[in-house]
Amino acid sequence: MILRRLQYELAARAVGPFLTALDDWQRRAKGTKARTGPFSPPLESLRKLKDMMTVHYLSGRYADGAVPVAWVTSGFPVELLRPLGFHTVYPENHAAMCGVQRIVPELSDAVEAEGYSRDLCSYVRSDLGSLDTGRSPAGRLPRPDLLACCTNICQTVLYWYRDLARRFQVPLLLVDTPFVYGEPTDHQIRYVADQLEEGIEMAEKVAGRKLDRAALSEAARLGRDGSQLWGECLETARNRPAPWTGVDGFFHLGPIVAMRGTEECNAYYRMLKDELQDRVKRGIGGLRGEEKHRLLWDNLPVWYATREITTLLGNGGFNFVCTTYTNAWAEASSLIDPADPIVSAARTYSMVMLNRDLPNKLRLLSRMTGEFGADGAVLHSDRSCKPYSIGQVDLKDRLASEYGVKTLLLEADHNDPRAWASELSSNRLTAFMESFG
Amino acid sequence: MVRENYIRRQREEHGRRAVAVLPIHYPKELLTALDLLSVEVWGPPGAPRSDAAGRIQPYVCSVVRNALAFLASGGADVVDAALFPHTCDSIQQLATLAHDFGGWKKPALTFLHPKGEPRPSSRRFVAAELRGLASRLEEVAGRRLDPDRLAAAIQLHREIDLHRAALLDGRAGLDMDDAELYGLLRRGEWLWPEEHRAELVAARSRLDPARRRPGAPVLVTGYVPEPIATLEILNAAGAFVAADDYAAVGRRIARQPDGPIGDPWEALADRLAAVPPCPTRATDQDARMRHLVSLLDRSGARGVVIHVVKFCEPELFDVPAIRRTFAARGVPLLYLEGELERQLSGQAVTRIEAFAEMLGQGGTT
Repeated sequence: MILRRLQYELAARAVGPFLTALDDWQRRAKGTKARTGPFSPPLESLRKLKDMMTVHYLSGRYADGAVPVAWVTSGFPVELLRPLGFHTVYPENHAAMCGVQRIVPELSDAVEAEGYSRDLCSYVRSDLGSLDTGRSPAGRLPRPDLLACCTNICQTVLYWYRDLARRFQVPLLLVDTPFVYGEPTDHQIRYVADQLEEGIEMAEKVAGRKLDRAALSEAARLGRDGSQLWGECLETARNRPAPWTGVDGFFHLGPIVAMRGTEECNAYYRMLKDELQDRVKRGIGGLRGEEKHRLLWDNLPVWYATREITTLLGNGGFNFVCTTYTNAWAEASSLIDPADPIVSAARTYSMVMLNRDLPNKLRLLSRMTGEFGADGAVLHSDRSCKPYSIGQVDLKDRLASEYGVKTLLLEADHNDPRAWASELSSNRLTAFMESFG
Repeated sequence: MVRENYIRRQREEHGRRAVAVLPIHYPKELLTALDLLSVEVWGPPGAPRSDAAGRIQPYVCSVVRNALAFLASGGADVVDAALFPHTCDSIQQLATLAHDFGGWKKPALTFLHPKGEPRPSSRRFVAAELRGLASRLEEVAGRRLDPDRLAAAIQLHREIDLHRAALLDGRAGLDMDDAELYGLLRRGEWLWPEEHRAELVAARSRLDPARRRPGAPVLVTGYVPEPIATLEILNAAGAFVAADDYAAVGRRIARQPDGPIGDPWEALADRLAAVPPCPTRATDQDARMRHLVSLLDRSGARGVVIHVVKFCEPELFDVPAIRRTFAARGVPLLYLEGELERQLSGQAVTRIEAFAEMLGQGGTT
């Protein structure tokens, strides 16, 4: 235990930072490779982001046996776990890494052989396949002591985590957030708050210590501030030209998803915001050339084809300046109240876009297109994400007819490239661009 | 058309209003107590009734796509409201899509039942949801909920559960083929409960414990027995359904001790908790596997048919566990996936026939 803890601390504080510094030095020595395609040079913060995530995953390899480990859904109120000393791992984040590296078909094959349908979410198939095959872009994920799941993004995560609980024989901490039609009722919020209290008891048992309520308030404050900082980073893209592309935001999401509620996360976003604001001052855009048209992206990224899509559009002067996906980690931050971390978390985490009705989503889309000056929207119809995708046909029509936004519904799957028709999609995107005249 | 005429007659003869109800779990007792006829909408099967199905992507299950098409085409205009239980991501999205963006203009009610293992918090939530739903239903019914009528409705549905369970458990001694039995059980989705009870009582009189139905007994688990030809072909090939775990049928039968009702709200919550494990409620998967094994053992089933609707995530997530469970016991298994077609494909027919034939010969996979 002591040796393991030592390894974990060494990985987090010495080996990880040393390796990333070495990598930085080697890259500098080789010289910065110019970014190809229609994009401006990458943000300087990207290096820091890569370093942080590398250290996070590297230290994770030594976390089991050293500190309590929780595997957590992206919408789980992770602030609860911070004061209990959990090392948190985000299977969704890990699955996305598998998607970027295009290893999902192989991972999915492994679980399909066990009877898992290809119609199930490709994140689930990626992660379960990674467990089955031992293949992971992260090297190794630490074994969980606790699975923490919140249904505010979908019910799929509950089935997924139930499966993980069986595999690892560890407790499942469930926060069930009833869907919000209109405004949440008092008993809905009470139910979620009650579950958080029940969940604390479970997490305390696993961690072997009592929750310090003052520390919980502090984690809530950090989480709120981090979400607000992330929102401020996103808002810089309201400027013309936008200092980055919305797709850059997909990759800079890492800390707010995986390290929310920590000072390290907030420090990173302060740095990123400064750099983006500096770019705004200097008139540097995310695109190298003229930003002719500004677009909104709806739904998860198409992880394996993000570059392909944005390059095609970027070459035509189209930039994604906002995405509903990245906005999800900023939208409800103002509701977090460190003085009342449980009830405010119940409200905040119930009010995320995916847990709310379609009129709310239409209001969000129209507000975002207005505030970011987007004259077009690409709605990714994601075979693997039904809660995000059902309703998009109507949303697309309403955005066009009521708000004058040109729209395109693009069929894909966020992680499984077998559902992607490259030529067909290129043709549709090209026709979409031509419609702008 | 049969249902539509029935709904009209109920209105004319008894002054009853009607509520269309989407799958799966809901407190039917509340509707009965308020003299509201519940008419369940499982699709309906067949081709979508209107182009509105195209407003939902083809990778969403046909239950939801067909339901939107049905509602938007006016298929359910004869009822007074629709109730959308919180069954899955797709049905909860359908509730807002149909109500907020067109397809359903009458009141849309929701019933949000908790997911996961029962906990003190979930019990309190169910209690509040039940009262909230009752209040919305009172508006639809135009009358107040009478506690005595609620208690009577709870008693009535307990009796119905008892009869349904008796028929399913004793089906080997019942002179009905599967299509006839399921036709009877599924009429409970829209008949006034007292009429349904009368039919069940009549059917129970045909039970003969001494009779042994010929053929290979099977356990069926899945969403809904559509098309019914699935079971007809199974029967024709020499097998029959000896144990049922369809979400539409067996998974909604609570097998509770018939004690005093006491507080009717508590009784309603108890009933919801007492139905067999169902993946749409995300209850313990091991408990579900134990339940399936117990169904198999009690019925003497020699094989298992998994009969699911394509893209139904809650059901699909349990398929690997079902496969593992029965493979470990050497029980043959047939996996069927459909999209609420009216007819089975020739390929599916051949697979069912081959499976039944294999069971008849005492084979294993």
